[in-house]
Amino acid sequence: MLTNALATVVRELQSALGKRHVLWAPEDMLGYEYDATIDRARPDAVAFPANAEEVAAVVRITRRHDVPVVPRGSGTGLAGGALAARGGVLCVLTRMNRILELDPANRVAVVEPGVINLALQDAAAAHGLLYAPDPSSQRICTLGGNIATNAGGPHTLAHGSTVNHVLGLEVVLPDGRITWLGGRQLDAPGPDLRGLFVGSEGTLGIVTKICVRLVPVQAAVRTMLADFESVEAASEAVSAVIRRGVIPVALEMMDHEIIAAVEHVLHIGYPLDAGAVLLIEVEGLRESVEADAAQVVAACREQGAREVRVAESEAERARLWEGRKAGIGAIGTVTPNFYLLDGVVPRTRLPEVMRGVAELTARYGFRVANIFHAGDGNLHPNIMFDELQPGATAKVLELGGEIMRLCVDAGGSITGEHGVGQEKRSYMEWIFGPEDLRAMERVRLGFGASELFNPCKILPTGHGCGQAHAADARRHLATPGVYL
Amino acid sequence: MTAPSATDPLRAALPPDRERRAEGYAIDGVRPAAAFRPASREEVAALLAAATGAGLVVVPQGGRSALTLGRPLQHYDVALDLGGLDRVVHYEPNDLTLTVEAGLTLERLQPRLAERGQYLSVDPPPHDGVTVGGLLATARPGAWRGHLPDARDLVLGVHVAQADGTLARSGGRVVKNVSGYDLHRLHTGALGAYGVIVEASFKLAPLPEATSAAAVRCTQIAQAEAIALDLWRQALAARAITLLGEAAAAAAGLPRAAHVLCEFAGVRAAVERSVEALRSAAANAHAPAAGAVDAEPWRRLRALAAERADGGTEEEMVLRLGVPATALRQSMEAAEQRGYAAWGHVAAGSVLVHGTASAAAAGELRALAAGYGGFLQVEAGPAWLRASVDPFGLGERELVRSLKAQFDPTGTINRGRWMEDV
Repeated sequence: MLTNALATVVRELQSALGKRHVLWAPEDMLGYEYDATIDRARPDAVAFPANAEEVAAVVRITRRHDVPVVPRGSGTGLAGGALAARGGVLCVLTRMNRILELDPANRVAVVEPGVINLALQDAAAAHGLLYAPDPSSQRICTLGGNIATNAGGPHTLAHGSTVNHVLGLEVVLPDGRITWLGGRQLDAPGPDLRGLFVGSEGTLGIVTKICVRLVPVQAAVRTMLADFESVEAASEAVSAVIRRGVIPVALEMMDHEIIAAVEHVLHIGYPLDAGAVLLIEVEGLRESVEADAAQVVAACREQGAREVRVAESEAERARLWEGRKAGIGAIGTVTPNFYLLDGVVPRTRLPEVMRGVAELTARYGFRVANIFHAGDGNLHPNIMFDELQPGATAKVLELGGEIMRLCVDAGGSITGEHGVGQEKRSYMEWIFGPEDLRAMERVRLGFGASELFNPCKILPTGHGCGQAHAADARRHLATPGVYL
Repeated sequence: MTAPSATDPLRAALPPDRERRAEGYAIDGVRPAAAFRPASREEVAALLAAATGAGLVVVPQGGRSALTLGRPLQHYDVALDLGGLDRVVHYEPNDLTLTVEAGLTLERLQPRLAERGQYLSVDPPPHDGVTVGGLLATARPGAWRGHLPDARDLVLGVHVAQADGTLARSGGRVVKNVSGYDLHRLHTGALGAYGVIVEASFKLAPLPEATSAAAVRCTQIAQAEAIALDLWRQALAARAITLLGEAAAAAAGLPRAAHVLCEFAGVRAAVERSVEALRSAAANAHAPAAGAVDAEPWRRLRALAAERADGGTEEEMVLRLGVPATALRQSMEAAEQRGYAAWGHVAAGSVLVHGTASAAAAGELRALAAGYGGFLQVEAGPAWLRASVDPFGLGERELVRSLKAQFDPTGTINRGRWMEDV
């Protein structure tokens, strides 16, 4: 049931966007109360603007009536960043899904925020170009969401995260003003507001146009699968590869739990008796690919790899990647629930941290499946459990916190690519002091964001977020189908 | 000029031997009332707190190579020399990561990294005397930009001393991190507007196995453009593809003619093939064969690209245009028609223009760049020029101002360099 203020907001939204582009019936809200993580928060209304002016109207209407507003794309976020933590209006950008311009000669594209990552990849590929950031959810996640989280992906190691590929952004600021940050060229004058905005998780404004840089598809690529006795040995090999001065384009680890799950579903041909495998890809000029591949093989052998298989064909390469991309989903076939974590550590500390993860999960009595971007030091332990077992959920969350603490103590961070969102706000104080957080608060204030503009995200404090804290204690944990 | 006693609170805030003679710190001919060279980040913070308390304007400086970037200062009370912060805090070669203090220069840093076969892949103007803090605060691209990630891509985190005397940090030392706002990006290109960078962490790159540079002398700039775009479209080990107009070529020590200047870096076989590709591209465009060059033209172009203090005269200016690669030639021709030396880096989409200071010419070229969806920044020039032409031409001014009000409400750091009172 809507309060009077909300009923007014809905009426105004309907007149600005058209009646069919505003939802408010309680049953319609059910589809918008979650993202791909474990929290739930139900909005009061959902608006589907078609352009920047309509987004600005949504922002102004909610601001005028002191109603929270939260931007959302496909809802594949893994930190609760698109949850309506205090109710209010969800501003869903999926109608804004046009590729507005693609200039192959200058390697630039301009797109709307609701464009699916893979759709841009496909459009660029037609010109022999690539939009490099490739989160594993690329078949469904939007570029607006990629901007919000500064999304990475398996190929971030060589190409960098989303921020390294965004030239400029048209955004609606929290006061409803429409402006551009950055532009169509590299290195525009001024403080890097573009770079600040990317990764700000929809708390500083809502992106309405995105100008990205495309890169040429590399001339040559070599994909390898190295097979190790243990996760630790594989972790040592990661450091050994980097130490040799080789930066693979991807360096992914899958442990025996993942291998078993993937093989159960897909029969890729991963070695079932391996403690862990590394999926390693090098790309570039044909001369450097040969040299790099030889270095990778040597580094893996030196660290005790039982076998290093080099994909002989494009089909074999695609097959090896298929298993990696299906890995997270496959976990869902062997456990009722799992909790996907995202931490990051210096690459040289991977072996000891992975040992710590194994010891901690064993002590808590859970099994863990590891599938992650080892070359970036970006861990994704998946803790397997059954939420129907009394107390299991609380124990898993506690274990998740301990694993995050392990990452922080190793000189790492609480999130490598998923974001802080609502889920990890309370961990921010583990890595940042009061002055660091105060500086972040100043950014929010400088952008004119009130506490109702995507509330209860990133910063550990915030009025009216108590409800979200209470929800923390009784949240439901992930169902299969979590994206990474 | 502030009365000498006004800077006493700063003297009280720092150990006695931190003060320097103010004569050595003039900017645009204006001498500050006092100059200090702190030895730690805490001392930088203490100096800023004292200055804010006393209502003084502080101008942070490292290599002093970008002091005429921005509007001329209306107030200049205190020079903050960051040269005392020059330590390597943490170097992890096996992780390809580095944390250094802001006052360390590239010319001192790079040899240390080279010992481990690594480098910070930047070539900022005007030379490697640029400090790490200046590199980030000015964020000016070099010839490698677009082929390699630049400082703004490589920075992993910073520590900053803020105007209120507090120290804050963002990011970290890990190569992938999305925790909290990336304030290190806000400070990139900000000329200290929101705080003084005192420490920064970077991703490093392995040094290339081989490098090679070559120049092709062309009959006209269109021929040079055809070769440059041809090379850019090929899969080569290019680290720089630069178009030179006649005057720029002469300034770089080459014959007075349009040129394509290329640098290749990578594994030896790839570099050798790239040099061959340059020969073929030149032949296809009916240009003479490429001649090998050493690092000298690059050194001269870098020096020319920024600072009059390096031998220029008072009446010269340097402009940087950001335009699409396919508009590089037209932008260079427009500058040459006005009597300027012009050169352009294809992958960065940047054109540099050097010559006699003129507000009219700067305005016309800015309009030209805007027509291509690009921009123009005045990189260096006399104070009168920087007072009459907005050096930055920012599209978004209000946020720059409102963030300044949050981080430095009294305008302690570099007041007026962005816009009046900011």
